[in-house]
Amino acid sequence: MKIVLEQLLNGLTIGSFYALIALGYSMVYGVMKLINFAHGDLFALGSYLGYTLLVFGSSYATVTFGIWGGMIAAMLIAAIGIGIAGTLIERIAYRPIYSVGRLPAVVSALGASIVIQNGIMVIWGPRPQAYSSQVVPSVMLNIGGIKITLMQIVVLIISFILMGLLFYIVQKTTFGAAIRACALDRSTAALMGINIETIIFFIFALGPALGGMAGVMVGMYYRKISFVMGWNYGLKAFTATILGGIGNIPGAMIGGLLLGVLEMLGSVYISTAYKDVFVFLVLILVLIFRPTGLLGEKIAEKV
Amino acid sequence: MKSKKFMLIVSVLVLVLGIASFGVMAADKLPVVIGLQGPITGPYAVEGEMAKQSVEIAAQMINDKGGILGGRMIEIRVADDACQPKAGALAAMKLITQKDVVAAIQTYGSFVVLPASDVYEKFKKVNIAYGATITDLTERGLKYFFRTCGRTDTQAKFFADKVVPYFNAKKIAIMNNNTSFSVGLAEETRAALKSRIDAGEVEIVYFDAINPEETDFTVPLTKLRETNPDVFYYTGHFPEAGLIIRQAREIGIEAIFVGGDAVVNEDFINIAGIEYAKGVYQTQEALIEYFTNPEAMAFKEAYKAKYNTLPSSPWSVYAADALCVLAEAIDKSGSTDSDVIADYLRNKMENFPSITGPVGFDEIGDRVGSSINLYVVNADGSSSICDTK
Repeated sequence: MKIVLEQLLNGLTIGSFYALIALGYSMVYGVMKLINFAHGDLFALGSYLGYTLLVFGSSYATVTFGIWGGMIAAMLIAAIGIGIAGTLIERIAYRPIYSVGRLPAVVSALGASIVIQNGIMVIWGPRPQAYSSQVVPSVMLNIGGIKITLMQIVVLIISFILMGLLFYIVQKTTFGAAIRACALDRSTAALMGINIETIIFFIFALGPALGGMAGVMVGMYYRKISFVMGWNYGLKAFTATILGGIGNIPGAMIGGLLLGVLEMLGSVYISTAYKDVFVFLVLILVLIFRPTGLLGEKIAEKV
Repeated sequence: MKSKKFMLIVSVLVLVLGIASFGVMAADKLPVVIGLQGPITGPYAVEGEMAKQSVEIAAQMINDKGGILGGRMIEIRVADDACQPKAGALAAMKLITQKDVVAAIQTYGSFVVLPASDVYEKFKKVNIAYGATITDLTERGLKYFFRTCGRTDTQAKFFADKVVPYFNAKKIAIMNNNTSFSVGLAEETRAALKSRIDAGEVEIVYFDAINPEETDFTVPLTKLRETNPDVFYYTGHFPEAGLIIRQAREIGIEAIFVGGDAVVNEDFINIAGIEYAKGVYQTQEALIEYFTNPEAMAFKEAYKAKYNTLPSSPWSVYAADALCVLAEAIDKSGSTDSDVIADYLRNKMENFPSITGPVGFDEIGDRVGSSINLYVVNADGSSSICDTK
């Protein structure tokens, strides 16, 4: 029982990373019907940005805000940086070719992914980097025999706050209603007086910003970051998006958390080596019985 | 008279110019190009970078002494394989197709050496591996393949016969990372422990693999924790090993952590953090800092002068060894023909004084005699040898 609880917590932690990244995929797909393959690498870029901020700005940030304040500051700055990077990618890689169709944009997204990944390698070097323990303290907690790290709790709390905030923005505000309207039907939304350009700008800033924050948290939690990490996390998060129903924001959150927990339970009860098999088996089953994902709505085929 | 004097001047001039131009020609002699295939990018880039630096230092040392084959300089040409099997075969092709590449020093990671050595063999190029220890590599009857590093089974034996008694361990956990080197070492270790297991002296309580691409190992580690081992032998590589030791300690595994020979280097310490890396043991081929032979001293001096530090893993030094060995074979045999070099390495080279001590090769291309020790990481990140005798 103890082990299951521990693993459930681990699964939720890793799941919240997936969920935060998945939100970026889902938001962009919802409005643009485009899979932003560069998203995973933006997440990795966030991780490196946070690394630089924490390692080189740590003394200043720690003096001003304290060690936890320093971390929050690093996350916020990384989020802003990645948000800007996201909008830049939209300008450079997607906007010039929207008119040609969706497929060229997907290829362009793959290109952007390669550019970012290699850019990271050129700037920070090919070796894996580590968030050092001077920057991120490691505190162990023992709650009723269950061993967890303080960082795990911090990650869970921050992730849920971020997801809650996004949920609130999308579901309860006028701006969120505009985003949902765009996701439903872009041209009609434009006719209703919604500024599509602004919506696209915010979608490409908000999604990557969340991914960037997830990147910093992955760095703080696991410590090791490498320039190729975006691919692995990106793939898992993309799977989570499909699982939850692509284009659906609560779906991405649930998909991510579910994927994390499934992965952990799969490796506890089946085998560590086959945990991905288990995860993708569940994905296939969901797609067979609910092709639109768990929370996805029916999309009428346009004839 | 005048014309005679003129002729004399002319002939002296011609002679002088001739000698001078001959001298220029000698210095301009084509360099001997040796390929270096290594992981310049990718997760093991630190090993590739160190190998490149070490080989360049060794080449520079030979060139400073006047080169080989009567004054030809050695030139290194690098091909990156990112430590991937597919890229490894391509990098080998890239070196082979450059006609002036005489021989190759190839790469870190047995699973990359495996396909690459087949390519070199097919095109008859001598290739010396520097960081590939799985036993099978030299057991395939290859004619042009050699290695300057040791074999996995030697290391497994060392673990079973020396390390286990040293810690007086009864319960042993073995974990590998599913690469051919790592699985090889884990299985050789289990085989080496067999007689003790049968005698009931020790017990393998955990034997499983993890996926090195992952970052979260808490599940397999939780399973391992439940078996309560005395010694935890991890046979994988440093990038994930740094995460494993940290996560193992965090979930309360207090077993002695022993790494295989790909675990400890500066990146491992960096990723694990010194508070967890301190006290980690490793079965390791001899590290350069413990060598005192003149060749090693000269190498250390040159390396330090340029990079202000020493290579933190043994493999890059084996790469430098490979270069010295190739230079010697080409120089002594007087030929850049693959068959002549291979024949020299296999049959004529004996106790050649290289950086990591005397080098010779046996019938199948394995280095004769290489030394493995148990090292422990100190609080300042350096390593020292444990007395396992």
